[in-house]
Amino acid sequence: MLTLIKRVFRTAWQGLVRNNWLSFTCIAMLTISLIILSSIFIFNNTSNNLINILKEKMDISIYFKRDVPEEDILRIRDDLIGSEKIAKIEYISQDEALKIFEEKSSRNPAIKRALEELGENPLAASLNIKAKDTKYYTEIIDEIDNSVFKEKLITVDLMENQRVIERINSLSVGIKLGSILVILIAAFLSLLISLNTIRMAIYSLKGEIEIMKLVGASNWFIRGPFLLEGALQGIIASFVAILILIPLIMWGSPRVESFIAEISMSLYFWSHFWYILLYQTLFGIFLGIVSSFWAMNKYLKV
Amino acid sequence: MPLVYFKNVSKAYNGSLILDNVTFEVKSGEFVSLVGRSGAGKTTILKMLIKEEPTTKGRIFFNDKDINKFKPGEVTFLRRKIGMVFQDFRLLANRTAYENVAFAMEVAGYSEQAIKKDAPELLKLVNLEEKANNFPHQLSAGEKQKVVICRVLAQRPEIILADEPTGDLDPINTWEIIKLLMKINELGTAIILATHDKEVINTLGQRVISLDKGKIIRDEEEGKYLI
Repeated sequence: MLTLIKRVFRTAWQGLVRNNWLSFTCIAMLTISLIILSSIFIFNNTSNNLINILKEKMDISIYFKRDVPEEDILRIRDDLIGSEKIAKIEYISQDEALKIFEEKSSRNPAIKRALEELGENPLAASLNIKAKDTKYYTEIIDEIDNSVFKEKLITVDLMENQRVIERINSLSVGIKLGSILVILIAAFLSLLISLNTIRMAIYSLKGEIEIMKLVGASNWFIRGPFLLEGALQGIIASFVAILILIPLIMWGSPRVESFIAEISMSLYFWSHFWYILLYQTLFGIFLGIVSSFWAMNKYLKV
Repeated sequence: MPLVYFKNVSKAYNGSLILDNVTFEVKSGEFVSLVGRSGAGKTTILKMLIKEEPTTKGRIFFNDKDINKFKPGEVTFLRRKIGMVFQDFRLLANRTAYENVAFAMEVAGYSEQAIKKDAPELLKLVNLEEKANNFPHQLSAGEKQKVVICRVLAQRPEIILADEPTGDLDPINTWEIIKLLMKINELGTAIILATHDKEVINTLGQRVISLDKGKIIRDEEEGKYLI
């Protein structure tokens, strides 16, 4: 068994080194395939992260009229928390609201002066509601709109919120579906590119495969080194691809960020570096093996 | 029991008959020459014997086993028992002379130690020990054919099929190869030599099967090239 493994490794390595131009072409094409795939993967994941950030930031704030007693607001909060659509409700009293407002406007002396002149707290108490899923926001807004405590609320523009929520929801679904589709297309194209390159490479070696068959080699005896060679090409291509991706991401990331500040490709790339390298290497190996296996099958029928 | 037995074998390509009801047998250790013009069916007979080509009709027996009934796995074993020498050498281009011989031994399941010991010995036998690390493109035609014979011998076959082995060689190399084949035959390996080299056949003084348009027209012990 050990002899067999040694033979397969030795022959695969010899094939890689001795057919250097063929190996170079295959590795180059595999590298291009992996760069395309990884770039799309990184961009899609950072876009998905943007949606998640937006979703995290989303909430509904309902503001109560100033004459509504605190115990009434807390009772409403306790009623709402029982809903299966709501993840969290935060009560912000008038005093807390004022404190937050003062902190936010601490650099603006005019606002501070205006508040002092007013002599009383003009801000309303509120409930900050976070839904378990963004799709529930419209339903929660509807429920609030039809609730018995609606008259205790200061009028809020529910329709505007609804539109933003719907837009984010549809954008999120669209981006997710689009990402899957684009990744599938890219994966298919990568497979096609590597398949055809390796097929051409193996076509040039078809005479050798036929000779091996005529000498009495079994299909797996012949296949083994070719599959390992394909896998080695995939591994090399993965490392070359990551070396090309690093400057590419460093160059491209600030440019994308200048359009959409929340999308930081470089941040995503570095925080997922080992994961990207692993998946890329595994996909490279997969491409190399599958392409070699498929390409050489017809020459084994001698 | 004959080593090889062709029983009423016919072969047709696209409706035209290449071999027509051919029957002959080859005994173990025998030297048989197949002669005939190009297209007479010599190569087809050899290809059918290693199952590179299927028969259209009839049966072929090797060691009393019908090779038409062989499964793919059995065909690989059959090919290890039948050595092939081709006119165009068919060496593995990216492997050295030593590696070509070693490959055949690896296929036959020899240990690494045996390969390291026997492969150089075989190359020494044909005076190619100094060119063991040469690639096929660095060898002359005669040297290539010698490496092919070493590769065949490495598997210790029961029979060697030589398809025009001297077709691309000069007279000196031709005789070296023929002498080598005769020596191998003397040591007990059967040989079927397909050729249209009249001089070689007439000098050998061995059994000759003459083919014409896919039919056996003559089968003589100590035969001559009479086509």
